[in-house]
Amino acid sequence: MSEYTITIGTLIAIQAIVACGLNVIVGYAGQISLGHAAFFGIGAYASALLTTAGGLSFWTALPVVLGITGLVGLFLGLPSLRLREDFLAITTIGINFIVVSIFQYVPFFGGALGIGGIPRIVLFGERIRGVSFFLLSAGFLAATLAICWLFTRSWSGLACFALREDETAASSMGVSPVRFKLTAFILGTAMAGLGGALYAHFMRFISATDFGFPMSVMILSMVVLGGMGTLWGPVLGALVLGILPEVFRPLTDYRMFLYAALLLLMIRFQPGGLLGENSLARRTFSRLKGGKS
Amino acid sequence: MDEPLLSLREISMHFGGLKALDRVSFDLHEGEILGLIGPNGAGKTTCFNTVSGVYRPTSGEIRFRGKRTDGLPPHRMAALGIGRTFQIVRPFPNLTVLENVIVASGLTCYGRLIPSCRSWKGRKTREEASEILARVGLESQAGQKAGLLPLGNLRRLELARALALKPHLLLLDESFSGLRHEEIAQQEELVRKTRESGISILLIEHNMRVAMGLCDRLVVLDHGRKLAEGKPEAIRNNPEVIRAYLGRGGSANAS
Amino acid sequence: MQLFLEQMLNGIAIGAIYAMITLGLALVYGILRILHVAHAAVYTVGAYVGLAVFAATQNILLSAAGAMVSCAGLGFLIERFVYYPLLKYPPYVPLIGSIACLLAIEEICRLAAGPYILSFPARLPFPSFTVGGIVISSTLTAVYCISAGVLALLWFITTRTELGLAMRATSQDMAIASAMGINSHRIISLTFMIGSAVAAIAGILVGIYYNQVYPSMGAVPAYKTLALIVVGGLGSVPGAVLASILLGVGETLLIGYAGIPLPRDALAFIAMIAVLLWRPQGLLGSRG
Repeated sequence: MSEYTITIGTLIAIQAIVACGLNVIVGYAGQISLGHAAFFGIGAYASALLTTAGGLSFWTALPVVLGITGLVGLFLGLPSLRLREDFLAITTIGINFIVVSIFQYVPFFGGALGIGGIPRIVLFGERIRGVSFFLLSAGFLAATLAICWLFTRSWSGLACFALREDETAASSMGVSPVRFKLTAFILGTAMAGLGGALYAHFMRFISATDFGFPMSVMILSMVVLGGMGTLWGPVLGALVLGILPEVFRPLTDYRMFLYAALLLLMIRFQPGGLLGENSLARRTFSRLKGGKS
Repeated sequence: MDEPLLSLREISMHFGGLKALDRVSFDLHEGEILGLIGPNGAGKTTCFNTVSGVYRPTSGEIRFRGKRTDGLPPHRMAALGIGRTFQIVRPFPNLTVLENVIVASGLTCYGRLIPSCRSWKGRKTREEASEILARVGLESQAGQKAGLLPLGNLRRLELARALALKPHLLLLDESFSGLRHEEIAQQEELVRKTRESGISILLIEHNMRVAMGLCDRLVVLDHGRKLAEGKPEAIRNNPEVIRAYLGRGGSANAS
Repeated sequence: MQLFLEQMLNGIAIGAIYAMITLGLALVYGILRILHVAHAAVYTVGAYVGLAVFAATQNILLSAAGAMVSCAGLGFLIERFVYYPLLKYPPYVPLIGSIACLLAIEEICRLAAGPYILSFPARLPFPSFTVGGIVISSTLTAVYCISAGVLALLWFITTRTELGLAMRATSQDMAIASAMGINSHRIISLTFMIGSAVAAIAGILVGIYYNQVYPSMGAVPAYKTLALIVVGGLGSVPGAVLASILLGVGETLLIGYAGIPLPRDALAFIAMIAVLLWRPQGLLGSRG
């Protein structure tokens, strides 16, 4: 397994964590978030600053990072309670732009040069890199998936599903829209923050442009492609969208075009996602299993 | 029990210049089935919405079980013991019928942190929900996706979900509309059985035969005002009520 | 004072061009409630086709005609192939499709014409003026006349013709409009084609005004126009036009003239955030 493959694998794992977070907000709770990369960035910058200027270790900083990202998620989730769908979509895009601008222009965040020299993660005295970093990321991904799984089985998760399906009916059954929308937001943004922290310590150099709107679109595409609201969808989406550019790498010049064209075709013909209800993959699988739908 | 279960005092609901409700007052006593009737646009659903918390009344007081509740949001009203069905059914389409009911049975957990982390997939929860489905006759559809059900079954599902809240008061908003003849009889039976189990009922109904036959008392609204109140026979013969309906081309159907 | 006026005139011209790009987006949003981000790619294609035809024929009118026809066709294809089939899905599905389209089309432009900035050395057949010491170049005059003409034509179509009535009906309630005999799908396609043709004109004007045509020229307008339809009021076309002109003036005066050290492109988003906080229905939109 070459070093390059491991790098790609690690990035896929990290992006899958962020995508899982978005899936909680968009897939489980049915809210709109087109600026999720902002929280990815907040997590990255928070961890970077706490470990460089703050002198903390990755592990000590981690709870703080999750707390900060969740808190910001809480504040930015509040507008979602008052805005109609269309406005909300554009507000979340605007928030993404603002956060990136803050990272880019406020000197505290390193400005256009970003933050560099981020230390490696130390675990049991070892500085993590290469395969061990991949395993660490995979471990965090597994933990994230476990939390998502537990969430879907909890009353909180069920409340979010109900809100997604019909907010008016859900509230008449005791589900407070404010409480549970915010719960989904905080959980989803904290997961993005986790991904961000890992990203910062993996790349060891971050800059504002890594976390802009194109990244948000990428993450959303992973969730939609994989199957919104499913457990493994975000992971599958991250895998597919992470591997595609590599598959096309030999075609250098046509790479971006093929990537975009394929994304277009996939969304056009499988808008429910690869793992969604009625998707080709699901139907083929159930036919193979003997027709149980 | 002297104090009424639900009491509305001078409830007004203004939407800008429009007076949807104008100083409406009435009481509902424990154990009774009270019908809210009136021509189209009289303000019946608006009235429901103030009771269940969807609207905050512009003025007036609502008391439920002795506590003042006007202006409280719907999820708090549910916790206080009011369940409702909707005029246009609102199932959770991608959840199964059983899951739709289970959502309602989580009422006691949604308000608190630790309970809301517990699992809803336990056997006891499923059994309780299945029992409610059996009560409304939907147990065979438990695994079906709610979005695929025909209207008659959806109306029963609405009722099942409201019952799962273990409410003191059930608000039924036109739960007979769109039903076929046989379904109407079944629904009437369900409503009666629900009252027998100790739940008081406030219902909106356009079908006069159903309303007259099912309700202990009726409140008639017209143009946002209370026109009359009393037992079905009295209402049936009340000249003002007749004028209110006939004056609009007679929307009361006898069948 | 003279500088102020000159900048003001520039600002209005830029605003007018923004208006012509945003128009298509506003029209599409009004009728389909879809954020047609790919519109920026249509605009880019307009610039390229215009340039290609001009290079071949040296005739600006043919250039404009060619671009308008191509873009109308492209808009039609995007609507039929990407949006219409995805209408029944939640709005982020067509949004992703739109963004994928934008990327794909931009890449096609890059592959076909190269990544370099091409120049568009056309001379627009409009006079230049000198009024009280201020020079109004022929390009500026052209921008004013053309945009005024386009906007007037569109206003006429939407308010005075049956087609316009059908468009407004469909955007208010597609189902009812269909029930009244309006072929909604045809109206939708026409709306796309009109918006795209106008974007083509904007593309050519921008290409000539700045003398630059390059594959990613749509990137900034893509997001700015989103902000503009919010500021103008989602669903309001006059609002979008007003917001565009205000932004053009604002960008030029605040940054060019007053020298405030903000990135030029940030103003659109600041305006958008301000609107969302204090007046969510935008300048001319209606609540709910």
